[in-house]
Amino acid sequence: MFTLIKREIEDHIGYFLGATIFAIATIFVAIAFYAADSDRHVWPAGAAIILFVATAFVTVLGSCAMGVSQMYADRTKRISAFLSALPVTRRQIFAARIITGILAILLFLVPLAVTAEIFFRRFVPPHLMRGPVVAEIFAAVFLMGFACYCLGLQTGWSSGKLAPTLGSLGLTCLLASLIIVKGFGLPFMVIILILIFASVICSWHQFTSTSL
Amino acid sequence: MSASVIKIENLVKYFDGRCVLDGVSLEVPQGCIYGLLGRNGAGKTTIIRILLGLDFPTRGRTSLLGADSSLLSAGVRGRIGCVAEGHNLIQNYRVSRLVRLCKDLSLRWNDVFFGHLIETFRLPMNRKVKELSMGMRAQLNLSLAMAIDPELLILDDPTLGLDTVSRRTFLELAVDLLQKDGRTILFCSHILSDVERIADRIGILAAGKLVVDCPLEDLKKRIRKLRIIFPKSAPTNLHLTEIINQRAEGRELTITVANWNRQKQALLETFKPESCTEMPMSLEDIFIECTKPAVTAVEQMYQEA
Repeated sequence: MFTLIKREIEDHIGYFLGATIFAIATIFVAIAFYAADSDRHVWPAGAAIILFVATAFVTVLGSCAMGVSQMYADRTKRISAFLSALPVTRRQIFAARIITGILAILLFLVPLAVTAEIFFRRFVPPHLMRGPVVAEIFAAVFLMGFACYCLGLQTGWSSGKLAPTLGSLGLTCLLASLIIVKGFGLPFMVIILILIFASVICSWHQFTSTSL
Repeated sequence: MSASVIKIENLVKYFDGRCVLDGVSLEVPQGCIYGLLGRNGAGKTTIIRILLGLDFPTRGRTSLLGADSSLLSAGVRGRIGCVAEGHNLIQNYRVSRLVRLCKDLSLRWNDVFFGHLIETFRLPMNRKVKELSMGMRAQLNLSLAMAIDPELLILDDPTLGLDTVSRRTFLELAVDLLQKDGRTILFCSHILSDVERIADRIGILAAGKLVVDCPLEDLKKRIRKLRIIFPKSAPTNLHLTEIINQRAEGRELTITVANWNRQKQALLETFKPESCTEMPMSLEDIFIECTKPAVTAVEQMYQEA
């Protein structure tokens, strides 16, 4: 399994590098905002919103693109067909792919979550902090990214067909707007977990029941 | 030879409503080199893909090393070496990276043997797979399949793209492998001289059915090609059973018949032929006779028209 995950990471190293660079750049921009306004000892809320929206946007798009490229590359280069001639099952190939996707999303979000937590503790008065706000926000963004990644996997495997591609695009937009409607609370997470479950099952079924 | 390593039961496969395999059943015992033959599109590759779990049957059941093909575990897959048609390798990898990947994923890896193969085939480890010639890709694929010391080797047209020397080297390797106890090979090829050289059992697929499945020596004994000269014009119907092919031209009749025996000989003699000569048949001749459309049927159609 470790070899399969390593292979997936090496094959999609661009996404991992991109995630690292975006994360570092976002942290630098956040620090720059703080440095520019350091006299007031208050971090500008506008900047926080812009950075959050950018983070969510990059997570959604990047995850979806990675899912598509993993499955599309597999299908066109017949990678799974080759791997299946080795002591590897389709279940392992799929699991390694999912784990790689999760790792890429976490690589992007964890440094940002840590930075956001530090800024929150530094600038938001304790009486305004209701529970683990940052953890809740980033958990929601992570789930959203993972849901989009799963949609990407489905789209990549069935690309060339217009209906699933448009369907995935519509669902991605729906996911992005869900945060605005429902916020980051438990209802949002439940909805998105159901969607992730359905999407993973669907991708899994497609991947294991198709000729390689 | 003992238990069946490969088992196919009543295998049926349809592609877009077209029947490619129509109730194929066969068993390959342990230690056997089985040569599966058939014309292009006969369904050889489909059988191999279904056996390896890459494709699914419409009906029927297949198993490898006692495990259902659609549920092959990593452990069972690790005991099978495979060379797919067209040498399906990851094209954008360097040879060294592909080798490392296969080595890391394999349950067994014979470094010494693999090194020997790489040296024999003179494969460049630093080139990308897509930059290799077809022959080199075939050699690499073979080396990867052989390096895991497989109990079962499945080869789909493995010598395609190989030059004569490499083909001979490959055949020697296959024989070497079989000399180890209990190794089994399923071997598809269009180069029938190769199959004839190493196979000890033959299956011939025609029109989706397995028309021949027997040891090579039996096949050669059972199928006879006879050139019969009659005093007048050759009869159109000899009333013989199991005629594979027949062709009449004036006084001369050439028939290919299975299971030639005394009864058939006696029946033929009632037509009082002037002479009857047996023509030697190679595996290639037998294959052509078994897979070409029946000449008699074509001739009958022509006469009716």
